[in-house]
Amino acid sequence: MDATILNVLRDPAGVPFYPVVFQGLYILTWALHAAFVLLALGSFGLSLYGSMKQKHDANWKILNPHLIQTGKLSISLLILLGIAPLLFTQVIYDAGWYVANTLSGAWVFIFIYALITAYLMFYWYYYANKRNGGGGTFVGLISFLIIVFCGVLMHNFAVVSISTPDQWMAMYAPNGVIDTSGLNLKWDVVRLAFLVSLSIPVLGIFLQNYSDFVSTKSDYSADFVSFTRKLGTKFAVVGLLISAVLFVLWMMQVGLLMNIVSLATIVSVVILLLMAMFLKNSYITTLWLVVVALLISGIRELIRYNIMSGLGYDLYGYPVNLEIPTIAMFLSTFVILGFTGVAYILTMAWKVGKLENGATLDGTKSAAVTKLGNITLGLFVLWMLIYFAWGMVILFKNTL
Amino acid sequence: MDYLGLFPVFYVPDVGSAWLMGLTGTIHIMASHTSVGAAMLFAFLAYKAYKEDRDDLYDYMKRYGMFLLIFSYVIGSITGPGIWYTATAASPRGISALIHNFVWVWATEWVFFIYEVIAVFALVYFIGKIDKKTHLKLTLTFAIASVGTLALIIGIISFMMWPGNDAFYNTGSASDAFFGINTFPHMFLRIGFMIMMSGVIGLIISSAMKRENVELSNELTRKMGFVGLLGGFIALFFFMWYISTLPANAEAVLGLTLDSIVLNRIILAILFSLYFFLAILKPQWIGKYLAVIMMFVIGIVGVWPGEKLRESMRKPYVAGQYIYSNQIISRDVPGKGVKSEVEVVAAKGLLGVDPWVPDRLRTITPENKLEVGEYLTKRACSNCHSLEKGGKYRSMVMLIETKLPGTDKETIKNYMHVIGTGAIPYMPKIALPDEEYDAMAEWIAAQVNN
Repeated sequence: MDATILNVLRDPAGVPFYPVVFQGLYILTWALHAAFVLLALGSFGLSLYGSMKQKHDANWKILNPHLIQTGKLSISLLILLGIAPLLFTQVIYDAGWYVANTLSGAWVFIFIYALITAYLMFYWYYYANKRNGGGGTFVGLISFLIIVFCGVLMHNFAVVSISTPDQWMAMYAPNGVIDTSGLNLKWDVVRLAFLVSLSIPVLGIFLQNYSDFVSTKSDYSADFVSFTRKLGTKFAVVGLLISAVLFVLWMMQVGLLMNIVSLATIVSVVILLLMAMFLKNSYITTLWLVVVALLISGIRELIRYNIMSGLGYDLYGYPVNLEIPTIAMFLSTFVILGFTGVAYILTMAWKVGKLENGATLDGTKSAAVTKLGNITLGLFVLWMLIYFAWGMVILFKNTL
Repeated sequence: MDYLGLFPVFYVPDVGSAWLMGLTGTIHIMASHTSVGAAMLFAFLAYKAYKEDRDDLYDYMKRYGMFLLIFSYVIGSITGPGIWYTATAASPRGISALIHNFVWVWATEWVFFIYEVIAVFALVYFIGKIDKKTHLKLTLTFAIASVGTLALIIGIISFMMWPGNDAFYNTGSASDAFFGINTFPHMFLRIGFMIMMSGVIGLIISSAMKRENVELSNELTRKMGFVGLLGGFIALFFFMWYISTLPANAEAVLGLTLDSIVLNRIILAILFSLYFFLAILKPQWIGKYLAVIMMFVIGIVGVWPGEKLRESMRKPYVAGQYIYSNQIISRDVPGKGVKSEVEVVAAKGLLGVDPWVPDRLRTITPENKLEVGEYLTKRACSNCHSLEKGGKYRSMVMLIETKLPGTDKETIKNYMHVIGTGAIPYMPKIALPDEEYDAMAEWIAAQVNN
């Protein structure tokens, strides 16, 4: 099969905005998605160990329910945040994405139901652990393994999508005999190992944040604060060293070790390592972790771009059919409503998290909560009014 | 060669790949519609709790919320992208058309969805930790965000049926595609069903509270009965408006099954009216097992056939009346620079334009004729029909056995020629070269007479 087929497989309707914007949004949203994938894996994985310790160890008794809760929220958020990169990748790299989905169609279906099973079992684990003050480890372990399996499947879709057209053809019609079963699987061990290994330092830095957060609350002992801080630092340091080695191996494999983005990532990881070891305020370390995550997301995109353009795929030559009203809707909703709304809930969550001894937050007495709440509600109402007005105008224009 | 942008065929024997999508879709609709309905219900309950200073309603909201977190925000939030994934595997070009038209709408829905999910966790876990007024405000934003997700997705799924006029084809504008003539009736039809679903699920929660607080359980069971009735009435009312906004091909499909649909809807309406009236008049009779059974009844007897019908009514198209279910573009869309592919397929055949055909099958020979026939049938027909004898998804074999005067190759081939002329409104008007019809008919006849 000729590589020019990649351009034939592009959607004939073109893209509704400049491809580079989708590329940027992809890098940004994949980094967000990956952050919660890694936090989910890390917190869930450690909680399995903790669930065996928490009945006999005072520190684990406090920490473990919080790890499980973190895992629960992270799985929800990773699903949510995974939607956006999924959208953006199939706008500009539709050829690879749709081929991967059809060649591995059966795995797509299995992925969905495996993920549902894993998440339901996670809730089972959560309730079993909560009810008995520990335990539920076996159910949790099964759930964890299924989630890892889902991660491997997702990795497979990514690897198939950046394969060459000849490799696709070999999967679809091995020896010239067409196979429509959608059972193709393909993986890249080093790439997968590197990405999974990142869950260790992400967990470590999260634990440092957690330690800093509870250190200001009187109902947490200094011993517990020190325990979580040390645990976090250990995970961050060991994890970063493992990830760094795997990253170098991966870059050598794809021939990008001396690339500027790759070198910047290595330097950033070293800085992150030093911050995790010596910096007292771990919230700043987290901000730097965001930079590292964006660089890693950028490297992934660079690898794909190099492979695809090397095959003759003209990303920036994708015909553009500008679509102004809907991008205006997205940007205004994302930037104005999205940030205000999330700030509103996070402000409330922060204040609720700082409550002590069963106290209640009176949001009406907090200027920040009240103002953000009023603005968020007002923006939602305004958004709805604009939506219906816009719809009416279009309908009248096209039907009267 | 003049290749078209076709993707590999993914096909699941007996049930068809689209059937997998239907299954995921039905589960998602149950979960997602409940979540939007429950969001509106929560706004009502939070208002009542604040105005009447009632703490007991929070207990109900917390239980309902915990159920919702699992039912809607585990199952629903995974099956949402799940439909997308399975639809991609079944109809890649259909999904591609939607994505390339509506990516910013979908991205906006994503923002609403993020807010909705964070808000539902917050409003469930903050019960008892924040004051009532603040909780009410949070719940109101959650309700609007939740309805917002519907407002954003509804234009896309309505466009899948049709835009309703030529504006989109000429301008290529997403606004013209999104606000078609059946967008708003479709939206309110679903809002009605969502309210009804919130009542159906609400009855499970209220009936499960009997042991702890029978008075509250009965009060809420009555309320859920009213909620269910109101939702059902709105859904039925807008269903009639929605039906009047459908295209001719949909009416043709509807005409084929109208009697059974009407009967199904009448039985469901009577059954659920009785159920809701029972909840209002004799709340103590509504047990949790009955409530759970009724949830499954609405899923299996209401949503599953309803979604199958909606999918059937789109035929022969999969999106916007310009992409056939078998992924061939059926008409020009000048506003987007899209060209019809029907003519090139008629001239060169599928074997001439499908980039995924191995070289050894590109030319039909006596040795490969059956193999080519099987592949072409999968490419052209498997999106709407299962191909095996005993297949469950609009079985092609069964249709041939029951609808055609004979099952021999020539009869089948003649019927294919008829389809190619466009004489059957719900089948794609694609004429193939005679040798391709011949190979397909030979393979199909072999399946029928096997």
